[in-house]
Amino acid sequence: MASVRTNYTINRSPRFSFLSEDQKETIFHGMLKVLQDTGADVHHEGAREIFKKHGCKIDGVRVRIPPKLVRQALQCLPLMTTIFDWEGNPRIYVEENRSYFGPGPTLVYYRDPYTLERRQCLREDATTTARVCDALNNIGFVEGLISISDVPRGTEDVYEFADMIQNTTTPIMAWAFHRGGAKDLHRIGCIMAGGEEAFKKKPNYILYSEPISPLVSDFHAIDKLMYCAEQGIPQDYSPCAIGGATVPATHAGQIVVALSESMVGVVLSQLINPGTCIILGGVQAPLDMQRAIYSYGAPELNPLCGGLTEMARYCGLPMFGTSGCTDTKTMEIQSGIEAALSIHSSMLTGANFVHDNGYTESGKTGDIFQTVMDDEIIGMARVIEDGLDVSEESLALDVINNVGSGGHYLYEDHTMKWFRKHWRPSLMDRQSYEDWDKAGRTTMKERIINKTRDILENYEGPINKVPGEVRKDIQQVVDDAVARVEREGL
Amino acid sequence: MTEKLGKIADGLLSGNVEEVSNLTQELLDDGTDPEEILQKGLFAGMDVVSQKFKDCEMFIPEVLRSAKAMQGAMEKLRPKLSEASSSKAGTVVTATVQGDLHDIGKNLAGMMMEGSGFNVIDMGIDRKTEDIVNAVKENKPQILGLSALLTTTMPKMGEVINALKEAGIRDQVKVMIGGAPVTDDFAEEIGADAYAPNASIGTEKALELIKA
Ligand code: B12
Repeated sequence: MASVRTNYTINRSPRFSFLSEDQKETIFHGMLKVLQDTGADVHHEGAREIFKKHGCKIDGVRVRIPPKLVRQALQCLPLMTTIFDWEGNPRIYVEENRSYFGPGPTLVYYRDPYTLERRQCLREDATTTARVCDALNNIGFVEGLISISDVPRGTEDVYEFADMIQNTTTPIMAWAFHRGGAKDLHRIGCIMAGGEEAFKKKPNYILYSEPISPLVSDFHAIDKLMYCAEQGIPQDYSPCAIGGATVPATHAGQIVVALSESMVGVVLSQLINPGTCIILGGVQAPLDMQRAIYSYGAPELNPLCGGLTEMARYCGLPMFGTSGCTDTKTMEIQSGIEAALSIHSSMLTGANFVHDNGYTESGKTGDIFQTVMDDEIIGMARVIEDGLDVSEESLALDVINNVGSGGHYLYEDHTMKWFRKHWRPSLMDRQSYEDWDKAGRTTMKERIINKTRDILENYEGPINKVPGEVRKDIQQVVDDAVARVEREGL
Repeated sequence: MTEKLGKIADGLLSGNVEEVSNLTQELLDDGTDPEEILQKGLFAGMDVVSQKFKDCEMFIPEVLRSAKAMQGAMEKLRPKLSEASSSKAGTVVTATVQGDLHDIGKNLAGMMMEGSGFNVIDMGIDRKTEDIVNAVKENKPQILGLSALLTTTMPKMGEVINALKEAGIRDQVKVMIGGAPVTDDFAEEIGADAYAPNASIGTEKALELIKA
């Protein structure tokens, strides 16, 4: 009979912690102080009016938020939000200690899957990213990795979302230029969900907007945030803070500024619609003071994003982390080193949405091959996150006694039962020299390319499950978007 | 005097804003030729700074501190310089074009140019084409530096160049452009005079442009 234990603490997932409880409290108070004393610029009259009505001090565009209001907003946050796929299955549980990984948004170039050269992003790349991500086991949400160059200017956001959502059931973290685009995206989300009411019950995408460091919310970012709050669309309000340039060079200073910037959006969203889902975080990295690039491969990314993750959790907010990205220009060893470190540390700090898997060239080139490599690394990091189980079954004292000294475990039922739990590589090479030699002496790079092209050429994807009339309705939204931009400009 | 000129160069290297400014004033009061202060003190010092930056011995914040010291000295010196040499250390107007809110790269480029003696007038972000043209009319800069980090706002740089043509002042100013999606080809396409992939090349090209 299994023995019953009382007060037995289980250390299921190992967690990496950068901050003590005291340090978190200090940073939290720092954030309250920044918002109260320094305040933040909010370039949106309607938003400022809401802040004013709730007791904030308004001085021109500067908004100073009293600590009480921040605390109240944090009280309103939802404990948990679920994001569904458009078939209605729950896919993402936005709650403590669940990490989902995905690519990032809007890069300048895309690595062509066949020529391997970076080039302008094309509309077809939206489908490529979506299909490949759909086929990858460890990708939990999708972003496009592109700024499409071959559609009417100002409609890139709508084209991208329209094409992507039909080519993956994995929920999308979407972006839009303005409220106009956000509305179009929402129409598409609702069409895919089966109507507005259905979307309310089962939201199938998240909208991402960004404050500007230091401490600025521009009109369109805050306007999109307000729209999402009004409609109950899950959203993310996260800056790309540049250590030493747009925020302090010290990690704590960077975290306090980034947290404050997002908190402006958190407070506003909860004033508009208490309980609406909002995520904070962002890219937290330093400026390389020699090369003047925003370094996505910097090791500092890890304590910065990790520390911010802990602060988000302290506030009861989900975290938008960053990983799997690199400063390299081509697939090489450095790409893997940088990605592995950031994926591992995001996993172990428990960020909820971890983006930019597939960002290369310091945020300039979207690279689906990098995403495919990252998928493998994420799988490996999950093994570490899964931790170590200590139970009667896993301790296996009986089996140990049976086998005794010498001998082996290969015949044991216990082995049969558990060996499948071991992680299996899909890209990592574990062949013998001879097998590797016979199989064409492939390198990681070649295996990544082969796997990616295999998906592109053979993976069916969900596109054929999208009914004809749904496709037509979505096309209508796209056409309307083109007309809107023609009429109103970007 | 040569001793003080040397000290100016050292002051620049260590980014001592006050010292460089004071020394410049003292030399002017002593009746030293402003051109000599510029060449043998300030430019000599900044040459070392840019060499050290290239050799990875100095970093951006240090270079910007030196640039600030240079700028402080230039404020004292500029009114005393002859026409010929003051155009050498000319004026640059910088702006991020309409619809674009990215600014740190443009700021960096501007600060670096200050380090080479340029008088930089920064218009900030999200600036309308007509405002930029007006600023050119008003400040008569030798160089207009435009920044765009979005593919959607890049065309605005071409629009500014066309507006300068329409206003009949295109040949009075050199246009230099930069930003993440900008390329040499794009610069050529819109008829810009130069493209700079980073701030230090921007400064080099700015110096070439005013020599040309
Ligand atoms: C930080 C950042 C932001 C910050 C900007 C904060 C700020 N204060 O500037 C915030 C969060 C606000 C932001 C917003 C957006 N961003 Co942004 N952003 C970046 C990021 C990550 C880094 C830019 C940066 O500061 N780099 C560091 C500086 C030092 O480098 P730099 O700007 O390139 O400047 C150097 C050179 O280019 C050159 N240079 C630049 N200008 C000039 C001018 C002259 C005269 C000269 C000589 C030289 C020169 O010299 C500089 C120094 O060496 C880039 C990615 C990237 N790799 O560029 C994306 C990036 C530029 N952003 C992008 C996008 C899409 C956006 C948004 C639309 C995102 C959204 N979904 O809402 C919004 C747009 C807002 C708007 N209307 O402008 C895309 C653009 C893609 C495209 N093809 O257009 C990029 C490329 C990648 C990305 N996915 O984030 N962004």
